[in-house]
Amino acid sequence: MRYAVRALGWATKILWIFIIVFAGTSVYSAMNVRMGFGEPQVFLSSGFVILSIPLFVNNSGFYDLSELNLTVDAVDYNGSLVSTSTTFVPLIPRGGSVETEHNVSMSLDDITSEALNYLFNDTIFNVDLSMKVNFARVVPFQVSMNKTIPWGAPLYNFSIGQVSYDYYNLTHQRVVVPLSFENHSPYFGIDGTMQVEIHNSMDELVGSRTLSLNVPSHSRYEGQVELIVDGSKFTESGEVHFSFETSLFILGPVVIPYG
Amino acid sequence: MPRVFKAALLAVITYLPLYFLSTFVSPIKPFFPWYESLTNIFAAVFIFFLVVGVFSSGTVFQYVFGVARTLALMVFFIYVLNGGIITLTVPVEGASINIVLDVTVVLAMLVLICLLGIGKNVVQAIDFMSSKAETKEI
Repeated sequence: MRYAVRALGWATKILWIFIIVFAGTSVYSAMNVRMGFGEPQVFLSSGFVILSIPLFVNNSGFYDLSELNLTVDAVDYNGSLVSTSTTFVPLIPRGGSVETEHNVSMSLDDITSEALNYLFNDTIFNVDLSMKVNFARVVPFQVSMNKTIPWGAPLYNFSIGQVSYDYYNLTHQRVVVPLSFENHSPYFGIDGTMQVEIHNSMDELVGSRTLSLNVPSHSRYEGQVELIVDGSKFTESGEVHFSFETSLFILGPVVIPYG
Repeated sequence: MPRVFKAALLAVITYLPLYFLSTFVSPIKPFFPWYESLTNIFAAVFIFFLVVGVFSSGTVFQYVFGVARTLALMVFFIYVLNGGIITLTVPVEGASINIVLDVTVVLAMLVLICLLGIGKNVVQAIDFMSSKAETKEI
């Protein structure tokens, strides 16, 4: 009986020492883990707009960090998923560091079809950020954050004014299309080209012109597009087709009736 | 009289780690407002069983109080570690950061230590009673 008591006493003491040492070194190690994000970069690749956020983790503690999983989900005000992205780092050994990039990508096809709305209307995105890491392989740790980000439409209030026309020569007419929009985006300016086409009431192309656009963020564009069109085909009502090719998106045609 | 000194000394020695732990966690106390009152209640219960155990030494009750003390410790660990899943919400610039720490393995080890402590007290109580019975027979 005495041996059993002694064995239980020793087992308890050894476990207490182990757990106190583990708790102490864990707190010290956790305080010596440095994690941060670098300056985000936006670029285009294979039809995707990619927001690349550099991520670094420096583990100067006593224990390994394993299965680091960073997930960013963005949903719009309707609850539709706009983008989801995950970065997985299998192991950050003790005394080591890891530098990686978390890429949030959005398909340009999505922009031109489902999410066309975001180019013309301001909205709010709900961003869920979640980071999981296994500390010392026995203590899973998770940090999650929910933030609403206002989205400014780069082509907000895109509209044309009263289309005017007069005779250019015997066979052609000069058509003037007043055009205005506001770039509400705080993230990027519109830098590229815009093609304008005039279609008559029979949907025949009567004239077109390509002009360059340079609209910085938080600024208004107001201009007039002059086109020389075939006078025999031009009608008093029809459609104006706009196509955009910028550094961030390719869009078109956006059709607006006139007359 | 030596028992009084022993009880007082043990009470002080027991309270010191709790006091230092309280000081250590003081910067994050606003996130755990219940922590201080809970620790004080636990300290009071634990020290009570400790003192009573010292005063009842030489009887079987010291082991009974030992079991009660270890049970109180086990309940405290389970409660303070929220069953192994610690959650914390920190408001930051209009957003809130949720932190979840899964210390189930650590809690399991603490519970194991407590169970070993309870087992030890029970074995000691049996040993004490059998020794007493043997002494009576002789």
